Order: sequence, then structure tokens, then C-alpha cells
Amino acid sequence: MKRFYILGFLSLIFFDTLAQVSFKYASIHAEPLAMDVAWLVRVFGHPWIYGAFVGYIGAFFTWMTLMKHAPIGPAFAASYLELISVTLVSVWLFNDTLTIPKVIGGLLIVAGILCLARQESPEKKGATWQPNLDESA
Amino acid sequence: MSQLTFILWILNVIVDTSGQLAFKAAATNSAEFSGMAHWRHMLARHWFWIGIGLYVIEFVLWLAFLSLVPLSVAVMLGSFNIVVIMIAGRLWFKESLTKWRLIGILLIALGTVVVGFG
Repeated sequence: MKRFYILGFLSLIFFDTLAQVSFKYASIHAEPLAMDVAWLVRVFGHPWIYGAFVGYIGAFFTWMTLMKHAPIGPAFAASYLELISVTLVSVWLFNDTLTIPKVIGGLLIVAGILCLARQESPEKKGATWQPNLDESA
Repeated sequence: MSQLTFILWILNVIVDTSGQLAFKAAATNSAEFSGMAHWRHMLARHWFWIGIGLYVIEFVLWLAFLSLVPLSVAVMLGSFNIVVIMIAGRLWFKESLTKWRLIGILLIALGTVVVGFG
């Protein structure tokens, strides 16, 4: 069962990270940004945007599977902790720099997420928190 | 942060929060049904389709936002959605803001400010 959780959380983070990296590549290939049809055509004419779909769909089904068994608190935290993996991958793939404000801000956000996860942790039936699987979280 | 970046960020937060609220409304309206009936009932709610529409818009907004900021900064700024959604959940669905939730919200808000203006 423990292995199930670990594999589940790792795949969740993997799919979320894949989605974000694909989004970033798609946006790079579609440059320059313009609010017009030509920009959308550039976005959807490139394979990376479909990587984002794969990431979303994978994350959705992983989340639904995890939800059947895992407590909501840690699962909620894990779904947002992609923040860490995405940041590390950005440094590697996109040469993002880890400035002091980014490190401090990132740590504050992670601490905040852990507080929320702690709140959601007690095994209450019918917890109302809705998972947020979208990219911007 | 340029003006356009800021506007795209705010739009992202607004559209994401509205989408989440729409899905929540669709889900709670159908809460008395279970299994496939629950899904069928949700799919017939206009809230569900409003949520889908908002997510499509957000998809494009997020791409636009990513063309302007580094990915690592974008995901950190994106965490601000949690703060707004929790407050909105409190206002519209009377969800409780407990001590740990408040601390969490404050830390995330502070973190996004540090990243955004750092």
C-alpha cells in the first residue's frame, strides 16, 4: 500500500510537471505573443501543446485513482508540490535562475501549502476541498 | 513585472477561481445522486459547461502568461489561485477558514508577493 502511494504521488507530480514543461515549450515556439488567430495557430500547430494535454489527462486519472485510497490532506499537498519539481526542471531545461526572492517566496508558498494540507488531514468523511488540477496552481 | 504580465496574471486568477466555483456549484447541485447518475446530473447543469468554458479561456491565458514570464516564476505566482479560491469558497459556499487555513493562505500570499516583486 505504501508503494501504491509513493508511485501515485510520483506519477501525479510527473504528469503535472510534464504539462507545465509542455506549456512552456509551446509558448516558446509560438512566440511572439499576440492576441490573434495566427498565434493560436502557432500554438496548436506544434506538438508540445499535445504534451500538455497528455499531462493533464494523466494527472486527472492519477488523481482520481489516488482519491479512492489516499487521505485528502497529503494528496492535496502533493498536487501542488509540483511547484518544486517544475522549478527545478525549469532551472535545468530553461536556464531559469534561482534568485533569492524566488527561493524565499517559493519556500513560503510550500510552507503555506503544508499548512493547508495539515488542515485537510483529519479523516473527515466528505471533506469539501476540491482538488485543483489546473496548471496555474 | 510589466503591465501586460500583471493583467494576464490577474485574469488567470479570476478565470481560474470562477471556473472552480462553477465546478463546485455543478458538483454540489448533483450531490444527492451517486455513481453514473451523479455524472449525468452534473453534465446537465449549466454550471458544468460554464466551468468548461472558463477552463478553455484559462488554457489560452496561461499560455500567454508563460510567453512573458519564466516557468518557475509562473508556477509560483499561480499559487495565488489557492488564496483566492479559499476566500471565494468561504464567501459563496460558507466553507470554514480555520486557523491552519488562514496561516496557509497568508504564507502563500506573502510568498507570491516576494516572488512577484522580488
